[in-house]
Amino acid sequence: MPLQTPEEGRLLPPYRVLDLSGPEAVFCGKLLGDYGADVVRVEPPGGDPSRARGPFADDVEGPERSLYFLFYNTNKRSITLDLQSDRGRDLFRRLVAGTDVVVESYPVGYMDSLGLGYESLRAINPGIVMASVTPFGQTGPWKDYKSNDLIALAASGFMQITGEPDGPPMRQGNDQSHFPGAQFAAASILAALYHRDFGDGEGQHIDVSLQEALITYYTDAHPALAWMLLGDNVTRVGATSTLVIPLGAYPSSDGWISAGIITPREWDALSEWIYEVTGNEEVLNEAYKGGNQDRAPYNDLITALVIDFTTRYTSEYLFHEGQRRNLVFIPVNTVSDLLADPQLEASNFWFGIDHPETGTLQYPQGVFDSEEVSPATNAAPILGQDNDAIYTGELGLSHEELSSLRDEGVI
Amino acid sequence: MNENGKKALQGVRVLELGPYVALPLTGRILASLGAEVIKVETNKVLDEMSFIPAWSRGAGQPDFQRIKKRVSIDVRTPGGLEVFQELVKVSDVFMTNFRRNILDRWGIDFPAVRELRPDIILMWQTGLGGIGPYYTYKSYGILVQHMGGVSLMSGNDGEPPSAINTSYSDYHTGVFQPSAIIGALMRRRMTGEPATMESSIFKSGAVTAGPAILDYQANGRLPQRIANRRTDCAPHGVYQCQGENRWCAIAAQNDEEWDGFRRAIGNPDWCNEPDFTTNQSRLANQDRLDALIGEWTAQHSATDAMERMQREGVPASIVSQGDDLYASEHLKARDFYRPTPYYVAERGTPAWEWEKRDSLAWTTPARLSETPMEFGHYSNVGEDNDYVLREILGMPESRIEALKEDGSLY
Repeated sequence: MPLQTPEEGRLLPPYRVLDLSGPEAVFCGKLLGDYGADVVRVEPPGGDPSRARGPFADDVEGPERSLYFLFYNTNKRSITLDLQSDRGRDLFRRLVAGTDVVVESYPVGYMDSLGLGYESLRAINPGIVMASVTPFGQTGPWKDYKSNDLIALAASGFMQITGEPDGPPMRQGNDQSHFPGAQFAAASILAALYHRDFGDGEGQHIDVSLQEALITYYTDAHPALAWMLLGDNVTRVGATSTLVIPLGAYPSSDGWISAGIITPREWDALSEWIYEVTGNEEVLNEAYKGGNQDRAPYNDLITALVIDFTTRYTSEYLFHEGQRRNLVFIPVNTVSDLLADPQLEASNFWFGIDHPETGTLQYPQGVFDSEEVSPATNAAPILGQDNDAIYTGELGLSHEELSSLRDEGVI
Repeated sequence: MNENGKKALQGVRVLELGPYVALPLTGRILASLGAEVIKVETNKVLDEMSFIPAWSRGAGQPDFQRIKKRVSIDVRTPGGLEVFQELVKVSDVFMTNFRRNILDRWGIDFPAVRELRPDIILMWQTGLGGIGPYYTYKSYGILVQHMGGVSLMSGNDGEPPSAINTSYSDYHTGVFQPSAIIGALMRRRMTGEPATMESSIFKSGAVTAGPAILDYQANGRLPQRIANRRTDCAPHGVYQCQGENRWCAIAAQNDEEWDGFRRAIGNPDWCNEPDFTTNQSRLANQDRLDALIGEWTAQHSATDAMERMQREGVPASIVSQGDDLYASEHLKARDFYRPTPYYVAERGTPAWEWEKRDSLAWTTPARLSETPMEFGHYSNVGEDNDYVLREILGMPESRIEALKEDGSLY
């Protein structure tokens, strides 16, 4: 296939991506589509299972109303295709001939069992880049273990370091496991395409393990290293640190505020500010001066002083006044705060995307801001909306063939 | 790891200026994919990360710095700035995570960088944002997780924000930036045009709130904090097992997995009470269900509980901790961790005098069949001064000596 240049204002050329992925990799196709790739979601004739996942617009269920689906499938097109039927697999092979990338996250061996594994696809198209994102990777004794968001966060150890020390391990909310594997897959796919198109290479298969991707997402907690060198297991410490004081989330008059005092100068500035406000001389105690971990022995005393101070002001005031004093105060936001945040507004973070079922909603698309390129703004596809364009327009099927495929339930 | 020597990003040179987690991680990934990443830093002001974890003073650095060519140039000196500018001219990408007020102080501004190398790709990453009202604001990675919204979507209602004991949001940034940079390199190859990209840890964290952001706009609903549960299936949680702080996560998402769960625990009578026979009844009686499961897991090791579940097709896993990951047969079979040297960091002493010791680093979560990600060599601060200054910039000995004399090269 001749290489096409990116459309005006887009980062990527319109690389054709066939997206077969479930939760482990659904964000990968979104990212590539947002950047300008031509991502086609290949759905079973009844629709991808994630269309049945809430929340739904106006809390009314329906295949076009899943807000989960709408977020993770922006800038994708949709065709339906039953990969379990012979005719469906044949059509898939024909599509692969004109495709740059296949992304999938089926159980290990499933694509092979359909005759659509990497070696088969490569025989059709030597330039194909296929990425498989699975809970534990394509090899190793755990490769067939079943998983989901909770299990992935447990297996990687992420939950071990999340939550309160006297409570159970906690998962991070809102499906945080959707991102690490997908992000590594996107970087690897683009590197493989760079190699193919600008380095005189061919296609390749990419094996991404979600467990490993998640482990890299908390590298600076060093779980395996701490065991090897210290014989210690790193665990959760809760909302506030017990080593660096103060560091963490503290109550304010209207919610929460986070703060971190690392250097001696930062402590001096904070303790003076607390004294100004509370008049409590205890905070100026010489014993508390110093950096980083010097206040660890006085955790309870100092945390009480800090909370007596933070609860007198709003989070908003503490954030800006703290920063004005060159102190790291950071808000603890929920989604309504994000939508109102002036910084996100100023750096072109939000993009209005119109969809027939929801009207225009603001999507958090602007992961980076650039004068030269910006993300595409097409809504997630209606189920099968591109069947005609792709099956008749591209593969040259007749309308009779198309309706016989429909009758047989292949598309 | 890279047996055939082919590199995906062959011929790409990246200039990295900046400390901490996200930006160095981006550099490590690009280097693993075959780019030549030159890290500019100075012994005079060490990255705080040179000392992590604190008890080892640096055993955690190889994860972030492996494969890079490390040159110890102080860009705050006139001589150092000049070397930096020469490196800009021979680089395809310049990425930094310093705030504008700091870069201004050093005389590094983006239009000037672009004048030196008109087609250079710029990735400018900060904590809270490089432009806009917070551009001078300071941040620490471990706190920015609270800003992106995740901590008020985790844990239980009424509890403090659920904190992750790591610089969590940094990783979203560190791992998304390589794809943006590679995309920009492709675009430049095809159109001849460069790109300037501004990213922040705040923004990449906020992206992950996606569906909840749409839910708030469409339904006016703020995220529910439901800890380890789900609203559409039960059981779904972590259960305490034998041993201190040992847990097993179990998820039965449909009737088939529930049947597997019953088999795995020997189908005791309570499983067949009306309270638990349908997904709806299990959801309605979750507290009791979780207590009964906890009674069973308390009799088993976490690994035994996991294996019994997985044998019956039920998603389950131990909540891994360091010893599990270090000894994992699965991760060993995948060559995930490898030994690496590190150097024990000491302030006031140049890095080449630091003691060398043994550590561990991850290889890669992504295995590319034709251009495998490299594990490569781990350089200490300044270890590649000769390579960068002599071989890349072709500097004569006299100039290198002069840079050492005036403190630019240290």
